[in-house]
Amino acid sequence: MIKKLLLLCCCLLAMHTGGFSQEQRVSGRIVSAKDSQPLPGVSVALKGSSNIVSTDGSGAFSIGTPAGKSTLVLTFVGFLRKEVEVNAGQSSVQIRLDEDVQQLNDVVVVGYSSKKQSALTSAVTVVSAEQLKDVTTNNVGSMLQGKVAGLQVVNSSGAPGAAPDIRLRGVSSVNANQSPLFVVDGIIGGNYDPNDVESITVLKDAASTALYGSQANAGVIVVTTKKAKQGQTRFEAKVATGFRTADFGKLQVMSSNELYDHQKEFYRDYILGAPDNSYKIDLGKFYAERPLTLRDQNYSWPEESFQSAPIYNFYLSAAGRTEKNDYYVGASYYNEKGTFQNTKYQRINLRGNSTYHFSNKLDVTNNINLSANMGKSYDYMDVYYSFLNMPWDNPYDETGKPVYVDGNSTFKWWSRDKVNPLHTIENSDHSYKGFDVNYDLGVNYRITDWLTFSSSNRVAASFNKGTNFVSPLAAGTYRGSGYLNELNTLNYGIVSNQLLRFAFKFGDHSLNGFAGAAFEGSQTEYSGASGRGLPEGLRVLNVVSNNQLVNGYNNQGYLQSLLSQVDYNYKEKYFLTASFRYDGSSAFAPTKQYGSFPAISGAWLISNEDFLAGSNILNYLKLRGSYGITGTQDIGASRYLGLYSLTTQYNSVVGAVPYQLASPTLTWESKNQINAGLDIGLFKRVNLTVDVYRNNTKDLLLQVSQPLSVGFETKWENAGNVVNKGIELGITSANIQNKNFDWSTDFTINFNSNKLEGLPASIVKTGSWSISQIYRNGGNLYEFYMPKWLGVDAQTGGPLWEKLTYDESGAVTGRESTSDYAQATIQESGSALPKFQGGFNNNFRYKNFNLRVSTYFNYGNKVFSNNLRFMMNDGHEPYYNQIQMPDDAKIWTGPGDTQATEPSPQNSANSTETSTRYLKNGSYFSIRNIALSYRLPKAWSSKINMEGITVGLTADNVATFSNFLGQDPQTTIQAGSFGTPGVSDFKYPNNRQYLFNINFSF
Amino acid sequence: MKKKIFTLFMLFVAASSGCKKLEVNPSDAISTGTLVTTNDGLTNALNGAYALLKDHIAFNGTVDNNNMYLRQFYQLSDFASDDITCGQITEDPLFNSFTLGHSPSQANTRYFWYVSYKIITGVNTVIDAVEKLPDPDAKTKQLLGECYFLRALSHFNLVRLFGQPYSIAPDAPGIILRTNLTDEGIKARSTIAEVYASVLADAEQAAALMTQPRGVQYASAEAANGLLARVNLYKEDNAKAIEYANKVINSGRFSLSTKATYPSLFANATTSPETIFCIAFTAADDYGKFGSIASMIYSDGNSGWGEEFASSSLRAAMAAHPEDVRWSYIVPSKDASGTVQKKNGVEMYYITKFSFQNGQPNLSSPIMFRLAEMYLIRAEAEAKTGATAAALDDLDMIRKNRGLETALYNKSLPQGSNALDLVLAEKRIEMAFEGHRTYDVFRNKRSLNKNYWGYHILGLKETDIDLGKTPSGYQNLSVPYTSPRIIYYLPVDEILTNPLAIQNP
Repeated sequence: MIKKLLLLCCCLLAMHTGGFSQEQRVSGRIVSAKDSQPLPGVSVALKGSSNIVSTDGSGAFSIGTPAGKSTLVLTFVGFLRKEVEVNAGQSSVQIRLDEDVQQLNDVVVVGYSSKKQSALTSAVTVVSAEQLKDVTTNNVGSMLQGKVAGLQVVNSSGAPGAAPDIRLRGVSSVNANQSPLFVVDGIIGGNYDPNDVESITVLKDAASTALYGSQANAGVIVVTTKKAKQGQTRFEAKVATGFRTADFGKLQVMSSNELYDHQKEFYRDYILGAPDNSYKIDLGKFYAERPLTLRDQNYSWPEESFQSAPIYNFYLSAAGRTEKNDYYVGASYYNEKGTFQNTKYQRINLRGNSTYHFSNKLDVTNNINLSANMGKSYDYMDVYYSFLNMPWDNPYDETGKPVYVDGNSTFKWWSRDKVNPLHTIENSDHSYKGFDVNYDLGVNYRITDWLTFSSSNRVAASFNKGTNFVSPLAAGTYRGSGYLNELNTLNYGIVSNQLLRFAFKFGDHSLNGFAGAAFEGSQTEYSGASGRGLPEGLRVLNVVSNNQLVNGYNNQGYLQSLLSQVDYNYKEKYFLTASFRYDGSSAFAPTKQYGSFPAISGAWLISNEDFLAGSNILNYLKLRGSYGITGTQDIGASRYLGLYSLTTQYNSVVGAVPYQLASPTLTWESKNQINAGLDIGLFKRVNLTVDVYRNNTKDLLLQVSQPLSVGFETKWENAGNVVNKGIELGITSANIQNKNFDWSTDFTINFNSNKLEGLPASIVKTGSWSISQIYRNGGNLYEFYMPKWLGVDAQTGGPLWEKLTYDESGAVTGRESTSDYAQATIQESGSALPKFQGGFNNNFRYKNFNLRVSTYFNYGNKVFSNNLRFMMNDGHEPYYNQIQMPDDAKIWTGPGDTQATEPSPQNSANSTETSTRYLKNGSYFSIRNIALSYRLPKAWSSKINMEGITVGLTADNVATFSNFLGQDPQTTIQAGSFGTPGVSDFKYPNNRQYLFNINFSF
Repeated sequence: MKKKIFTLFMLFVAASSGCKKLEVNPSDAISTGTLVTTNDGLTNALNGAYALLKDHIAFNGTVDNNNMYLRQFYQLSDFASDDITCGQITEDPLFNSFTLGHSPSQANTRYFWYVSYKIITGVNTVIDAVEKLPDPDAKTKQLLGECYFLRALSHFNLVRLFGQPYSIAPDAPGIILRTNLTDEGIKARSTIAEVYASVLADAEQAAALMTQPRGVQYASAEAANGLLARVNLYKEDNAKAIEYANKVINSGRFSLSTKATYPSLFANATTSPETIFCIAFTAADDYGKFGSIASMIYSDGNSGWGEEFASSSLRAAMAAHPEDVRWSYIVPSKDASGTVQKKNGVEMYYITKFSFQNGQPNLSSPIMFRLAEMYLIRAEAEAKTGATAAALDDLDMIRKNRGLETALYNKSLPQGSNALDLVLAEKRIEMAFEGHRTYDVFRNKRSLNKNYWGYHILGLKETDIDLGKTPSGYQNLSVPYTSPRIIYYLPVDEILTNPLAIQNP
């Protein structure tokens, strides 16, 4: 069979090459139909031949043609394909290309292969560099917010260099990793700078993700870095500079006066149960203990601790193409100071991409990315005190330096703890440095016309160092001794993919695909040390004189795989794709290491059928469907073993502590995904994509709760399902398009619901501050589980919670209120995951001006505003500053006060304990970004030898509209070690960011 | 060129097709199967069980520095007593011990329960492995004895915190006994009496097995006998309590600290002649402000929170004898003018029984058993069996070593008092802050009187405090032994996963 195919192909090839003896040349210039700007890099092909050239920087081309008439085929990313008839010898042909609003013929990188958009059978969203450039950050994730249907991006922290939480189509695992897999230039993992990104493809259903098998449960994000597009060397430079300010949301602390008045409530004459209460505020006592002069001491701790901070981003690149070599070189520098004192982040990144064409059979690609970053992080306690210290305490001494305060200080210090965070910040730092190298080697060898061997390989290594330093001058536990702690992390690994690709075409049938093997291995080595007893002024481990501690450990993981894919299409109307991956992972016991991940998908491009041909209304219509399985193994090494950990000592001798229960049959968690989609193009200007999906994650890798009395909290098991169902809608529309004015809109929305099934028993996870979430059959992920707050008892001013009574079968028979917290019924109280979220973005162009407004919305999730436990504390902690109460809040004043919403400070036992009192609606709508730019007229820029100059102003995080009480409602949904998903603690506030940008190309 | 390319191609194929064995072993852990097959492994596992008494291990995915077995034990025991008062309302669940606002989800009881059973699981693994050995030598038997001891002590501390006193309700639910590796995870609570029987059996076995003492940082036959004396006293088997106390007193290994050495006993626990068994904290275990036992009850200005203080009730009980050297562990925080400072209206009398090992404010090796307690156990048992003179002699033995040479009983009961009252009063002062007081009060069916200022009083504000008066009109000023809140709720985690475990009322 193969021999026959081979023969067939050779014949086809022979037919094509017989030819053109007398060559003449046609030359001309290609411009954009919209603004008559020259288009460099347009591919100009002679129809029926293999002659292809591309236009140079001024849009000019010259191509050899046979005598007589011939046809040129012009293709260029972002423009409609055009065929033009020319006569041999013709020169100065002017061709105008129309922009392709719908970009259906663009090539999409879908991981191991690339496809034309029209040939896709899976749910895929492509985001181009153009769509990303409005937001300036060091993280691509933040740039994607609101631009991809089904992608939830939560910027939960404003700390310099912070990365957002990213979730695709909801959360489908409980204890395994939930972040999408990143694939850079076709290889899993990898490092890159956002400025170097050419495009991002988000793979959403199993049709495309199953090829990544055991690593693809949470979806795949494919990043493609820039490559040369045309012959002539072109430079691009970008400068962005501006500043950021902290966005406290509704966490506005009380001023001196506000707090003063608020504290009068603490002096109400009321003892619960006493017979002689007058319920009057004892002002005499109040003024005796809170002198009026306090009103003159008004220091805003948040404003002293958070200040506006500069940000810079510089980028320079060069790209070009010669006959033998394509190259791209990019350099970026990003520098961001944090709004919180003594925090910052900077990163430098160098990338070189080169493809060398040894012959028309062999290409070798060498890509290298070097990056280094350094910065300073912060201590949670410093942020905590920056919000909670009292406005009556002056942070500074007479000389203007942060005042030193500790337990022995004799001057009056109102705040609960004798701590001045500004002094601590000045005398400590939490710095980190990192260095990262990626080298990719790709080899493409066209063995025959239909068979190509392609190999892609990456070696990566990184080294990171984190340091915590507290000077002996700082108040607190290290006063007089100082403290130094360093942690070094070395990470290295390889990824190697070897594929044989094939492509056939016979008549109306075309068949292509690949088969091959892949290997991944990575190792991490940690080592660290700490100690105290530092001489003042020095900060290296050598001078640490006591309490020296060392620690270190290693991790490793391996994955080896076989993978294959076959694509078939008939007449460019019917498409069928099947893929299969077979993975072996070192995470499981030897007999349980291998898993299979198949997928099948199909599409019918209805608009290519005759009955729709030439329709001016419905110019594109495609129906897609897919089914497949992906998996997860990413739970860390050796989870199947019964283990004793050897990390402790007793009396300076090593100790072994029971660490993990054995689970020898532990294996893959697998996600069965069904997806159906419809792509519609209307009036050649509106694109609409709808997808519905149902994803059932089976055999969850679950930490099943054990009775604590066995000495273990959990045991790893394969148990339970998570079912995610959803619908996604994406619309892009070119509303108005003419010479001087364009208006385009894109809109995405997705509804996702998830449900847990098949759990052996309910699991309650209780995190810090006794905030619990329940995992139960029929329930949602991250469902809060706490007493229900019923407000204030009008007669006593005491807090009220709901108490349910049950009959024998467990059905609720009654509801009553109780002021005894221990009697309150713990109830399911809503999930931290939104019901729907999406983005609405508009772009306007008038002549050379461009305005882009991006917004993002999120609806239906709960956020626990843990700050309120401290900042709305009913006098429990009178020496913490309090939040400015919402207008409708009222503290109880006496028996019969039915208007009261907050308990009496005299009768507030347990009122700040975890309950739905602080569980708030997390819905919001935010104006994510406004970007205004102006493209200088060509006449001006060419005076300084520039091809184009664009200047712009951008504002990020402009406004958030929400009823949430607390810091801004964007709250982490990471089920990590410290946080409970959906709990907003004293976090590093998000930033408003204002930037001035200039882009040059020359 | 073609050949070169072909070679390259073959190299790639070879590199990728080399099917690797995908086996990875952890770098800092050992599989349970391997551990039990070596002597070193078993010794390490026993050492690990001791380490769990002092370590902060991950719980609920987090290493919370508040979580330490001993810190939790002392706080759950003594913050509920009348010896310590609260000077600061706090979100830390330690506050629940003062207010009795207990909850099944409070982090400290949950962690304590969890680590107790982790210790038990660890020693059960060693016991299981050693008992399969045909003829263990004396050294191995010592290890085995220490395992039995730790199991007995862990079960006993659990039953004290989560089960009613034996003397009140021996048939009430106690705790879940874990004495082997084969029982189902889902298991009901044994009765108090069953738990006591198991603890006594383990401790007796421990006493018999341990013949090679390894220092006071490790369990010994005397530590086991001390435990037997304590448990029998709680069980009101007074004869046995006296018998085991005598075994320790007469062992000749220990002597009481004197008036001169008592003030440094707790800073030098590992070398003091009075220490029978203490938990060794080394310099590496100096946890500072966020994780030490001392940091809640003492601060040098920077070292700790220092928010809980020696109560006015305890100080009143000691007021008659300012010469008593036991005052040396109650240190007032004074301002420049020499006045005792107040925290939120409560006088700040720091407690220093857990400080000053190596001079460090947060470091000590907490004493689990010391000789003075043996005299007090004997005295209480004697008092209860009518041997008043002997009981008073035991009290005098202590008093003359504490600077009270001029205030001895000399076998005669002061007018209007009874021997048991005197024993309990002496014990309160001698063993203050060491985790005895609440048990001694409630098992003797007495009420705890907390009629003094402090934030155990719900809704109290600083402005309500008038140190010239005793508080009145508030709830929570007295805790009768019949209160269900003299013990804690079982942790919510156990209730949810173990349907046979019935919650405390």
